[in-house]
Amino acid sequence: MKRRSFVTGAAAGVSAFGLLSAGARAQSKEIRMIESGGLSGDSIEKGYIEPLMKKSGIKVIRESPSSLGKLRALVESGQKDTVLFELGQSVMVQAKNLGLIEPLDWAAINPAPMFPEAKNEYGFGYQYFSTIMAWRKGAKEPKNMTDFFDLKNFPGKRCLPDYPHYLLPFCVQAAGVPVDKIFPLNVDLAFKKLDEIKKDVSVWWKAGAQPAQLLKDNEVQYSICWSGRVVNEPTLAMSFVGGKADLSYFGIVKGSKPEDKAAAYKLLHEMSLPENQAQAATVISYTGSSPELDPLLPKDKLWQFPTAKQNKAVQYFEDAQWWVTNGEAVNKKWEAFKLNL
Amino acid sequence: MRGTGFSFVAPLLVLMVVAFNAPIVYMLGLAFWEKGRGFTLEHYQGLIETPVYLKVLGNTMRIALIATLANMAIGYPLAHWMRGLQNRARLIAIALVVLPFWVSILVRTYAWIVVLGNGGLVNRFLQWTGLTDAPVSFLYNEMGVTIGMANVLLPFLVLPLFAAMIKIDDRLLQAAASMGAPPRTIFWKIYFPLTLPALAAGTLLVFILCLGFYVTPAILGGGRVPMISNLLDTLINQIPRWEQASAISTILLIVTLLIFAAYRRLDRKASA
Repeated sequence: MKRRSFVTGAAAGVSAFGLLSAGARAQSKEIRMIESGGLSGDSIEKGYIEPLMKKSGIKVIRESPSSLGKLRALVESGQKDTVLFELGQSVMVQAKNLGLIEPLDWAAINPAPMFPEAKNEYGFGYQYFSTIMAWRKGAKEPKNMTDFFDLKNFPGKRCLPDYPHYLLPFCVQAAGVPVDKIFPLNVDLAFKKLDEIKKDVSVWWKAGAQPAQLLKDNEVQYSICWSGRVVNEPTLAMSFVGGKADLSYFGIVKGSKPEDKAAAYKLLHEMSLPENQAQAATVISYTGSSPELDPLLPKDKLWQFPTAKQNKAVQYFEDAQWWVTNGEAVNKKWEAFKLNL
Repeated sequence: MRGTGFSFVAPLLVLMVVAFNAPIVYMLGLAFWEKGRGFTLEHYQGLIETPVYLKVLGNTMRIALIATLANMAIGYPLAHWMRGLQNRARLIAIALVVLPFWVSILVRTYAWIVVLGNGGLVNRFLQWTGLTDAPVSFLYNEMGVTIGMANVLLPFLVLPLFAAMIKIDDRLLQAAASMGAPPRTIFWKIYFPLTLPALAAGTLLVFILCLGFYVTPAILGGGRVPMISNLLDTLINQIPRWEQASAISTILLIVTLLIFAAYRRLDRKASA
């Protein structure tokens, strides 16, 4: 009881302080974000944090990784130091439903033009990434997901993600469902397709680094990968056809201080500028949400970016709401499926 | 005396209670108490209605048991062999057993891919010698997980076992031999019973550690060997259903405590 009243008291104190400083239109000189880490984090540093530092002197401290569980722990423990949190598409909807993030003040962000799906009430879509099919050069080239799952005509071991929300939409495509009709997802059809091929799946991957390595080692010949893990591998080939286009968002952690938010909106503004996005794309082959980005990217590398016109057109976006409603039930089926491998 | 003794323990006790025990109790309570709804048994009911999570728990126990047995089969002879070594050789052997402790568990796990993969050292050697035509699948199945877990956990069994073994007085064994006992009898009647408590303690430790393994099954199991900690990760970080995760963790804790109680009972019987 004592601890609790202390926490509430501290929270009240902090928010009173926040009101005061908001009145003074203050803006933090240092804010914290939690992002997904690795090269993606480095690209945020080079593309957006450095320009912000130059223009306004605001320092941004990065931490990683960013799981929904961590966000829930942040908010429920009343922590108020972290203002920006990186979220996937369905994670953003979950976080919104759980009351873990706040609506954005788009007027304060004042962004350059963005793709419409990137401008969400609760999230700033800052980076597109794709989950696609890849194979060893020399293996027969699949033209679509039906080919990819066809063991007879495309023999070879497979490596598939150990995440049903990545995998199952590819399975229904293999069974003939077109990309624009994937949702609502026919889960039984997806598992039926999986039962057909599971004996030739060597590895169900958990970490994004696994599939590209397994392809390189010739442990498997075909794999579902994140595009950024394949583009720099000379021995591998890939295709965006039927791939899953994903968008990572930044959300504002519930209960953040107003002066932190003011500084965070400045950073989000930097993230909307195509020239900054082009800088970020030199670090990682995932791209920002400006429709004006293509001309700023190197022409010989356009084939590898998720938002390049020819690539964006052949992929699908998941129905985040569908997953939020059905995710847990699907996961139970997934665990049962894995027990019978 | 008693008072001063307690004051030495107090700081650690406070740290443990505040930083470790209290959060665990809170976490276990999550399954019973829902914000705004009060007491509930719904999450346990959910477990009974869809037994797939409990099946994963059962699978975890099975894998842990296999890995523990493998550990015993390798660890006991190893510790016994180390006992018979000369001082310098013994030091080197201990260093070799402890050395992997200093390498990150992730690195050790990936190292097995280099050794045991389809294009790995062992398979290349087997094919070069003509023993096999196609690569043998050591990895991405239960064997891979067992090998990986045994490797990581071996020191936990070998070190206590070795400590118990070097304490055994050689004269005891000599006395038995002088009275005409054959080596087999000496081992089973004298040597083995004296090492049994350490063996039991080490085995229990290894088994309990196995239950919580995360990285090794995820990588060396190729996703084919479902373990409870991977499931908990999904429930905590992705879905997030902390309440369900809490219910599963409670069951895992109870099972572990039961095993521990059984061990205590056996231990007391043995020493009585």
